Amino acid sequence: MSDAAQVVLAPPPRAGVAGRRLTRVLEIVVALAVVVGLWQVTSITINNSTLLPSPARVFHAWLDLLHADLRQDVLASLAHLGIGYALGIATGLALAAISTRFALLESIVDPLIELLRPISAIAWIPIAILMFGISAGVPVFLIFYASLFPIFVNTVAGVKQVDAKLVHAAQMLGASRRMILTHVVMPAALPYVLAGARLSLGVAWMAMVAAELTGSDAGLGWRLFWYQEFFAMDKVMAVILTIGVLGYCFDTLLRALQARITRWSPDSVVDEAR
Amino acid sequence: MNARRALLPLGFFTVAILAWQAAVLHSGQRALYPYPTGVFEAATRTIEDGSLFAATSQSLLRVLIGFALGAAFGIPLGVLMGFVRPVGRAVSPIVDSLRSIAPIAWIPMALLWLGIRGNAALFIVAYAAFFPFVVNAAQGARLIDRNLVNAARALGAGRALVVRSVVLPNALPAILTGARISMAFAWGSIIAAELAMGIKVTSGGSGAVGLGQLMVSTLYVRRDVNGLVLYMIVIGVISFLIDLAMRRLQRSLTPWRT
Amino acid sequence: MTGKIDAQSLSKTYVSARSGERVEALQNVSFSVAPHEFVSIVGPSGCGKSTLLALVAGFVAPTSGRVLADGAPITGPDPRRGVMFQDYALFPWRTVLGNVEFGPLARGATREAMRATAHRYIELVGLEGFEHRYPHELSGGMRQRCALARLLANEPEVWLMDEPLAAVDLQTRNILQDELLRLWGDGGDPGQRRAVLFVTHGIDEAVYLSDRVIVLGRRPGRIKETVTIDLPRPRKALRNSAEAGRYNEYIWNLIRDEAARAIVEESA
Ligand SMILES: Nc1ncnc2c1ncn2[C@@H]1O[C@H](COP(=O)(O)OP(=O)(O)O)[C@@H](O)[C@H]1O
Ligand SMILES: [Mg+2]
Repeated sequence: MSDAAQVVLAPPPRAGVAGRRLTRVLEIVVALAVVVGLWQVTSITINNSTLLPSPARVFHAWLDLLHADLRQDVLASLAHLGIGYALGIATGLALAAISTRFALLESIVDPLIELLRPISAIAWIPIAILMFGISAGVPVFLIFYASLFPIFVNTVAGVKQVDAKLVHAAQMLGASRRMILTHVVMPAALPYVLAGARLSLGVAWMAMVAAELTGSDAGLGWRLFWYQEFFAMDKVMAVILTIGVLGYCFDTLLRALQARITRWSPDSVVDEAR
Repeated sequence: MNARRALLPLGFFTVAILAWQAAVLHSGQRALYPYPTGVFEAATRTIEDGSLFAATSQSLLRVLIGFALGAAFGIPLGVLMGFVRPVGRAVSPIVDSLRSIAPIAWIPMALLWLGIRGNAALFIVAYAAFFPFVVNAAQGARLIDRNLVNAARALGAGRALVVRSVVLPNALPAILTGARISMAFAWGSIIAAELAMGIKVTSGGSGAVGLGQLMVSTLYVRRDVNGLVLYMIVIGVISFLIDLAMRRLQRSLTPWRT
Repeated sequence: MTGKIDAQSLSKTYVSARSGERVEALQNVSFSVAPHEFVSIVGPSGCGKSTLLALVAGFVAPTSGRVLADGAPITGPDPRRGVMFQDYALFPWRTVLGNVEFGPLARGATREAMRATAHRYIELVGLEGFEHRYPHELSGGMRQRCALARLLANEPEVWLMDEPLAAVDLQTRNILQDELLRLWGDGGDPGQRRAVLFVTHGIDEAVYLSDRVIVLGRRPGRIKETVTIDLPRPRKALRNSAEAGRYNEYIWNLIRDEAARAIVEESA
């Protein structure tokens, strides 16, 4: 048949990809080196290891903590996050399913969500402390609450944007209602759901730190104030950096998952500006 | 049809609120659980004695200053990163890793550096507001049609004029999106920062009390649950209004966007 | 006069849910398609061609009138009437193979049967080697072939096609027209051909492909004239013939004024 069409589809030349990747890594290394260098110089100038501990000091503190408290704190935070996030995602998806399926319930669920959404998770901290005491309940509840909204809003949007033409196409091929749900609506909404899950994780992470700082007796956030009591600012910095690195890793992980699961999509990662 | 659609949720919420009130009054545990008329009483009380307004305006002031700081540093850096590619490539990993740190995690350092009088909270807010500006401004400046730049150059524009008359207007919609996210972040962070400060700094007395600190003292000193619910509602209403205002602003500054 | 498809006094008025504004898309349209006939519908854009096809497919219900398939009223979509959409409506999350398998899957075929059918039709349209590409990795012409294979894999009795060649370049379009005729059975036994309702805005395309061309006028869409194309099959040698040219000119004269008005109205 037409060879012309096939020529167009020859894969693009792959040369130079490895080289570009190397440059990229180099750029990152250089950038980090500059930051650490600036930090080092500043801390030498200030010469006060409480006010600004040097990078080397923080690194040593971090190494020390790895064998002491840090592992425990990370595990506690991950437990908070795992439970709260799982609950939030499950509830958000269930509510979205209900509200897109039943118009009657939509008219109740939607305004309820719109009323609660502006009230940030943070605003719930005092009430959560009243409800759960200073305990894991506070971060778990806050993470649950924070992750609920992005996943709900995105899933509803994802279901509503499903192209009517694709539904028609499935119908004319003989698909049942059930098959349209599982084979058209769900895959079409998936990129939105995944984007929602990623947004949810981002806000959940922030809520977790705030909740642990103020209303928990374990976790990375809680440790911050704990070390501050002893003015162990090198350890405080080590925990702050750990929070950053873990947050970055989670986001990268979810982004990779997103790209992998929706690789059928031309712009494979549906992104919402943050 | 439309009237009926509105009626159902309206009825539902009315019944829910009445049931809530009845349940709390009936249980005889008014001190333990918040209830609608109690929240209303808390509102009239705190409005009359001026404490609600004072705390809210204190928090809002910090948000505005932090937001302005975030914009002042974030927009130029973002535009630079987006327009000059090598800068963008070098700086973005730093920005990304710093962005992953929850702003509130800096509170111990901020308290140490800037003290308890409110500047620590300001630092947190500015930190939170900074990154949405950088990221969105960079994206807006990066996604420019190079033909537009070339057209301006061909018409004789120098680098400065190109930036001012082509790059910035082109990035404006993205920057405004960044501003909206920034503002929402800033408002969330100020409450978190003030809560953390209120909990950490039990002495009180420090003049500049915001909503967050007010919540802490309502929780631990006065144990007034109705007050807590009131402050939550205030926080929600303000973030709703902020979002509304930012969307208005966005629409009026970039009318060419739908 | 029961044909494969009978449209009787079809009218369709869209009412906007928000503004209540009414658009009369079709008014009193009647026609039929015989079992082995290739019928085209031409007309300026916005004259209701897609609406007409959607009515026959069963995606929308007429405001008045009715459509019969084999003498029975149409109540909804049916796999016996396969549709090819204007922009193909391929499932973006399914590969070429997955798209072509969808019909057999929906109708409960076994895994092996499904796979065998899909491969047969993928080969028939010339897409072998591209089974595992996603739609966004295909050229316009290949997407079109994929949509065609998906339609054929269900072995429908009626092909409903909405401007299937509008989005490909001119050379590819000529090639695909010949492919379409081959698959339909242009050179073979007329009894093996399917009934086709083919929407296009290309007059020459309609003349080249069809047994009959229904010319629609616009606002509201009405049949202006039905032109029988009395050209022998196979058509391959007749693409640029004088006879075809005369048909083109005749139909063009029917719709020229309206087409011009459509341009003005659309830019207003
Ligand atoms: N779902 C719809 N709702 C309202 N108006 C519609 C809808 N679909 C089509 N129309 C209107 O009906 C007329 C005919 O549309 P269509 O059938 O798509 O024309 P064609 O395919 O010939 O371009 C147009 O004026 C179009 O705007
Ligand atoms: Mg059309």
